[in-house]
Amino acid sequence: MGDADRAERGGAERSDTTAGRSGRLTIAGRELAGLRAEKTILLAIAIQLFIAAFSSFLVVGLVSMYDPGALGGAEVEVASAGDAVSDLERAASEVDGASVTRYEDAGAARVAFERNAADAVVVADRTDDGRIVASVTAPDATVETTVIVVQLRELLRTYELNERADRAAYLTESPLPLPERTGSSPYFTFTYTVLIPVLVFLPVFISGSLAVDSITEEIDEGTLELLRVAPVTLGEIVDGKALAAVAIAPGQALLWLLLLRANGTPVANVPSILALMTALTTLVVAMAVAVSALAPDRRAAQFLYSIGVLVLFGGATAMAGGPANAVARLAIDSADATTTALVVAYVGIAAVAYGGVRRLVAENGFEG
Amino acid sequence: MIDRLRRVLRVARWEVARAGGGVDRRTLAAALALLLVAGAVLGGGLAVGAVGVDVDRDVYRVAVDGDSPYADAVEEAPALTPVPVEGAELGDSADLVVFDRRSESGGVETVAVRASDTRKGEAAAAEFREAVEAHNERLMAAEENATAAFPVTVTLRYVGRTSALDEGSTLGEDGGGSGDGIGGDGAGGGAGDDGSEGDAGGADGDSTDGGSAGGGFAVPSVGGGAFGADTVGSPGSISPPFPFVSLLLAFVFLVPMNFLIQAYGSSVLDERTNRRGEPLLVTPLSPVDIVAGKTLPYVAAAVLVTTLIAVAVGGGPLSVAAVLPVALTFLAATFVGAMFARSFKELTFVTVGVSVLLTTYAFVPAVFTNVTPVALVSPLTLVVFDLQGEAVSAGEALFSTAPMALGAALLFGLGLGVYREEDMFTQKPVARKLLDALAVRLSAVEDAGLGDLVDRRRLRALGSVAFLTACAIPFVFVAELLAVATLFALPVTVSIPVLLVTIAFVEEVAKSVHLYAGFERGVFARTDRVAVAVGLASAVGFFLAEKATAVVQAVGLTELYVGRAAFGSVAGVEGLSPVVLAALLFAPLVLHGFATTVAAVGASRDRTYYALTLALATLVHAAYNFGVVSLHG
Repeated sequence: MGDADRAERGGAERSDTTAGRSGRLTIAGRELAGLRAEKTILLAIAIQLFIAAFSSFLVVGLVSMYDPGALGGAEVEVASAGDAVSDLERAASEVDGASVTRYEDAGAARVAFERNAADAVVVADRTDDGRIVASVTAPDATVETTVIVVQLRELLRTYELNERADRAAYLTESPLPLPERTGSSPYFTFTYTVLIPVLVFLPVFISGSLAVDSITEEIDEGTLELLRVAPVTLGEIVDGKALAAVAIAPGQALLWLLLLRANGTPVANVPSILALMTALTTLVVAMAVAVSALAPDRRAAQFLYSIGVLVLFGGATAMAGGPANAVARLAIDSADATTTALVVAYVGIAAVAYGGVRRLVAENGFEG
Repeated sequence: MIDRLRRVLRVARWEVARAGGGVDRRTLAAALALLLVAGAVLGGGLAVGAVGVDVDRDVYRVAVDGDSPYADAVEEAPALTPVPVEGAELGDSADLVVFDRRSESGGVETVAVRASDTRKGEAAAAEFREAVEAHNERLMAAEENATAAFPVTVTLRYVGRTSALDEGSTLGEDGGGSGDGIGGDGAGGGAGDDGSEGDAGGADGDSTDGGSAGGGFAVPSVGGGAFGADTVGSPGSISPPFPFVSLLLAFVFLVPMNFLIQAYGSSVLDERTNRRGEPLLVTPLSPVDIVAGKTLPYVAAAVLVTTLIAVAVGGGPLSVAAVLPVALTFLAATFVGAMFARSFKELTFVTVGVSVLLTTYAFVPAVFTNVTPVALVSPLTLVVFDLQGEAVSAGEALFSTAPMALGAALLFGLGLGVYREEDMFTQKPVARKLLDALAVRLSAVEDAGLGDLVDRRRLRALGSVAFLTACAIPFVFVAELLAVATLFALPVTVSIPVLLVTIAFVEEVAKSVHLYAGFERGVFARTDRVAVAVGLASAVGFFLAEKATAVVQAVGLTELYVGRAAFGSVAGVEGLSPVVLAALLFAPLVLHGFATTVAAVGASRDRTYYALTLALATLVHAAYNFGVVSLHG
């Protein structure tokens, strides 16, 4: 950095703080105006909507595949034979959606299967050592295979439980009684543990990417030099750009949370979630600024940023108490003192990281 | 030809040299250092046990007595966190309270749970039941008397109904040596996902089970997870034929694409900023040469990476061949995006959009690989088949890959239209660039009297309109299949009407958006006569191209009810009288002609009129589709 530059920066620092603030706000405003003109923010929201819609679709689709009710509540018809078949029939009476028809021998049962009279064949025989061997034949690769196998598993597990109960005397420790079955959709857990964290963190990545693009584009086109002729310090330029990138993130997350609430999914602890995601956005934007300052050009910066985000979030999610889990626990209202401490810790880390990066850039300037 | 190839290669070499300079050694070193640090942290975390990818860790709070046997079950389940019963309040500090009645000897006689009256309470109760089941499995696995702990042993095999069965030899006896059983190769990853299912209790149970069972069962290790093997084990270890591992591996093929398109998009947009691409444009090289040369290194990189991944995960040439069209489409969509984008910021969003859209398009149908033929829409399904070692017919391979390859070619064509000085270096909104790119492909249609109706130039211009509409067919196809896939899970009463309107809208847009571009860019004269002429031409183009897509019948896609709604006009006409048949054949032409003319007349006025007439045309089209579907039943 040249002497004149340093002198100018010194001058700016001596001037009153209002000028500095207005400089930052001007730069932030300019950034946001650019986003508005290009309507990129709309595209960003459209992408997020698409991801949300499709991930929901995927889960709903998978759930309906595993839910026998999806195929019109059809019963799975099991052709069965063997000397232990009466116990199998007893088990079938306890399971919804599966019925057992007895055949004389394995051959007859398989003929019934072959003629589409049955969905599956179970041949249950007692062996000499007191075990029951069930040979199950399911149709290969048809639309219903998954549903049939899911039902068969349910049937055979009930069978196993019954048989185990009969042999309880031989067990050193008897299995715990199961509580009653309740109807619950796996979609509920998915919504809180996957969908909400994804929707909350997508704007974080977008903001970081914006910061990288915004800075490297200025360097690339030489407009950063122009900006530095203006009466603002380098630190203020960084502040302004970071401010714009961070400012757009919580609004998007809030939009999703409100949308989910309108859709019948109540989200608890919204302020804490927003605080956590804003802290993460600041952290990611700080990383973005550092990367754009250090990398020689845009391509390298984007590359490093992608890797960095991957590492940061991959690592953080894998750790116990990672941000994804913290958001899930906050949203589902199972947060405790550790979750609150985690939010505070993330805010602290973000503040320190941003402060460090800002100092680094203000002192060394941008390369490129 | 050779000359052109040489020119393309020269541009390619130049591109490689430039890209090589872009990501220098220092950057690579920094990236490597980042990854190393991450690896070290993760490894360290794994070593001390602080790492776990359970996103649902501790989301439900269960109030359970500390010395109850259920406390262990709750402790072992990652999603559940135990809270003390004293002071626990349902809905406030706990979601579920466990009450167990114990006999004097300490054994549990009955158990009851009280959950808060919310969906969360229900979910917690279901999770708790699963936790107890898993706990029981673990308990049984530790039992010495394995026969009592796992009294039922299951051999599961998948048999195709058409295949001949060898009578009674394996069934009914101990089906132990089932490796060469009937349909053993067709099981399609039946056991493949056992290892990753995370059912530790079940897997443990099996090994104990197998060890003590002695000679009875040779292969009780279901946890191993070889592709295509049959399942043997306790009932809890059965898992449905969901090709989880193959899917995960197939996904690996898509990951490098995201990095590739980032570099490619930057390279293309680099040409456009600060007029850097101008010197190249004034050389004798044609835009096609330049773009082909610039793209070639990235295609080569994609093929190289794909081959490496295929070798690593055990895929064959089919995997590489199936991923190539996906890679080309990634690049083509990014090329169009980079040609349309005004800044790097916009390009970032375009790249993210492209990768999200294409990844879902490729990945989501593949999830349903063994379930429905619709899965073949995605080339990734072929990869899953390849990894499972299943045979794929040539027709299936073609059906999977051809639309995507064609789509990539057409996207490149679209982008090439604006690879010229007046569009490359200007800042225009994306929508206007798109209209430009479409208008480039049209020729002028002037208003003329009836006498000039069959003028040769005019016919050629109308022909180009029809051709452009026909080119939109692959995209219509993709959009419709995406809609079918999205609506697949919904009940038929909801999905069919929504689907009919969506499809009508997609088709009407495809038939009229380039007409709007033509009027807006002044290629077509703004008169009603011209509007009718281009509208009819577009309808004819669409009709002919749509008939050509009767290929969809080949893979039985139309067997599905939803599929029939989408492609109703080309399928399911058997068993109707010739008059109805002829009417059905030409009714679509009349419909397309009418609807597109309406939209074209609107397009010749202004944007508001176009939007209104487009809505009208969509409604007419949807009503017709509804008629066809109810006619076919």
